[in-house]
Amino acid sequence: MEYWNRTSRVLGILVLFGSIIPDFFVFISFYLLHSVISPVFEVNTRQNMILETKQLSKSYGSIKAAEDISLSVDSGTAFGLLGPNGSGKTTTLGIIMSVLKADRGSYKWFDMEPEPETYRRIGSLVEVPNFFNYLSLKRNLEVIARIRGTDTSDIQRVLDITGLLKRSSSRFDTLSLGMKQRLALAAALLGNPEVLVLDEPANGLDPEGIAEVRKIIIQQKEQGKTIIMASHILDEVEKVCNHVAILKKGKTLASGKVNELLVTDDIIVIDSDNNESLKKGLEEKGLVKSAELKDDIIEIIPASGVSSGHINRFATDSGIVINQLYIRKSTLEEQFLELVK
Amino acid sequence: MKRLIQLEWTKISSYGFFRVILILTLSLFLLTVFVFSRIDISMPGFTWRNLFRFPDVWPSFAWVASWFNLLLAILVITIAGNEFTGKTLRQQVMAGLSREEWLAGKGILILGLALFGLVMVSLAGFIFGFIFTGDLNVGIIFEKMGILLVYLVQAIGYMVLGLLFISVLRSNALAIILYLLYFIMIEPIIRGLCPVEIRPWFPVKIISHLTPLPEFFQITSGEALGNNNMTFESIGLMARQLEGSITIIMAMVYISVFGLLTYLVVKKRDL
Repeated sequence: MEYWNRTSRVLGILVLFGSIIPDFFVFISFYLLHSVISPVFEVNTRQNMILETKQLSKSYGSIKAAEDISLSVDSGTAFGLLGPNGSGKTTTLGIIMSVLKADRGSYKWFDMEPEPETYRRIGSLVEVPNFFNYLSLKRNLEVIARIRGTDTSDIQRVLDITGLLKRSSSRFDTLSLGMKQRLALAAALLGNPEVLVLDEPANGLDPEGIAEVRKIIIQQKEQGKTIIMASHILDEVEKVCNHVAILKKGKTLASGKVNELLVTDDIIVIDSDNNESLKKGLEEKGLVKSAELKDDIIEIIPASGVSSGHINRFATDSGIVINQLYIRKSTLEEQFLELVK
Repeated sequence: MKRLIQLEWTKISSYGFFRVILILTLSLFLLTVFVFSRIDISMPGFTWRNLFRFPDVWPSFAWVASWFNLLLAILVITIAGNEFTGKTLRQQVMAGLSREEWLAGKGILILGLALFGLVMVSLAGFIFGFIFTGDLNVGIIFEKMGILLVYLVQAIGYMVLGLLFISVLRSNALAIILYLLYFIMIEPIIRGLCPVEIRPWFPVKIISHLTPLPEFFQITSGEALGNNNMTFESIGLMARQLEGSITIIMAMVYISVFGLLTYLVVKKRDL
């Protein structure tokens, strides 16, 4: 009995240790695994969220420059802020770039409360290019490079991208507006930041310049950079951005994907001998999404699957003679104007 | 720190106005002391030249140099003002410079300019002292040299007040005009309206009194008259002044207050 007692005791101890030691190893390995994996996840969550604003508001006296602006920009998106002059685009960008103080609301960059160092990761061009008049282009970029902690050798690269290499030793105040704008873009690109905040980047540029700057921005987008761009030119937003928020008088009117928010419907323009009854008939038959009577024509947006042929046949069947029928492409411009009306 | 020094240097080194003011300060100061040294007022018992001899050369040169502190303050107002009006401060903040760092940069600039003044006065003091002092001994060379550090505090005081003016007003012209008016009119008028006991405690009074007008009678009479009690205050030429040590402490207090106010203004306001 005593033998068994001792044996069972030894066994018990062995089992106990046998179970504790592997547990210990399992625990250690889990811990190690966790510490290796979790930063990866953290980085992932951080990378996804680039900018989030919550109800940013700011007024200048009685004028509400921005009211309850809530935006969310994910990594890799090209986000457009679209709106007419004075709609609060620059105010919003000024707030998120920490140069203006919001009256209300909050914002986060990279899912963190922004510190001054945060802005070294963001290249920006807000409002007009602001540089030291008495310094050369190179010196001006040197100022920005020193602030960002970027190597000054990067200056050559950004001057080359923006086509300013030849003017690098000219004073800033000798530049034309278009060149100043290019310099501002060069400053934004300095140090290859992961996010670009651009306010009317094509301001003051000639058509060639606009195309070049757009090309540069699209190249940056293709490199995976996140772009936040404000513009009052719809065409610019449409060509560069995939997400858009439309602002008017400081308020967000709409936001979403460009291809969903600004859908292009074709418009069929008809001139017949009895426009009114044709319009009525089309509406009753459910062949149109909308129809509008204008002077001596009807403008209709056909229901899905309805072609101009269907409409022509319907008119003939109803005994209405069509004098003219053509398809007009609806422009984004019209829809934009419709939205901000 | 190194980064801020480099940044500040990048911004001002090729700024024409900066060079002009520095050259102007240096040449006007040297010209003034040179012209003074050529004047020979010969009155029985008084020797003008005593002002240029060790150790009295230090207080008299510090006093002359203090006139040019206004120029240095205007330089600081202009350099900082350019960054407000040209919105380059805005650009710098967007590039990742904190407002505190910007102020620290301006602090470095002020310190640098004050050191420039200090070097200017010391070199001129040594040169004139060695030329004019007849019987040199090491003791008298350094006797009143402490006033140079007080001059340093004063120069900083002038410039920090200038920085406060431009941070609040944000217009170069307005800041310079109001700054000068404050020195020569506004504060003296307010002082005049206040009771006599309060008058010496005003900031400009304190800061400008750091390098007081040298006691000409005492210095120029030398040991000939042996009349060491003949001060401006005692003969009624000057209002009652605070003691030197209190003046220095109060000046430092005012400099801190101006610095703090500037910080609050820059921190709170839109750019």
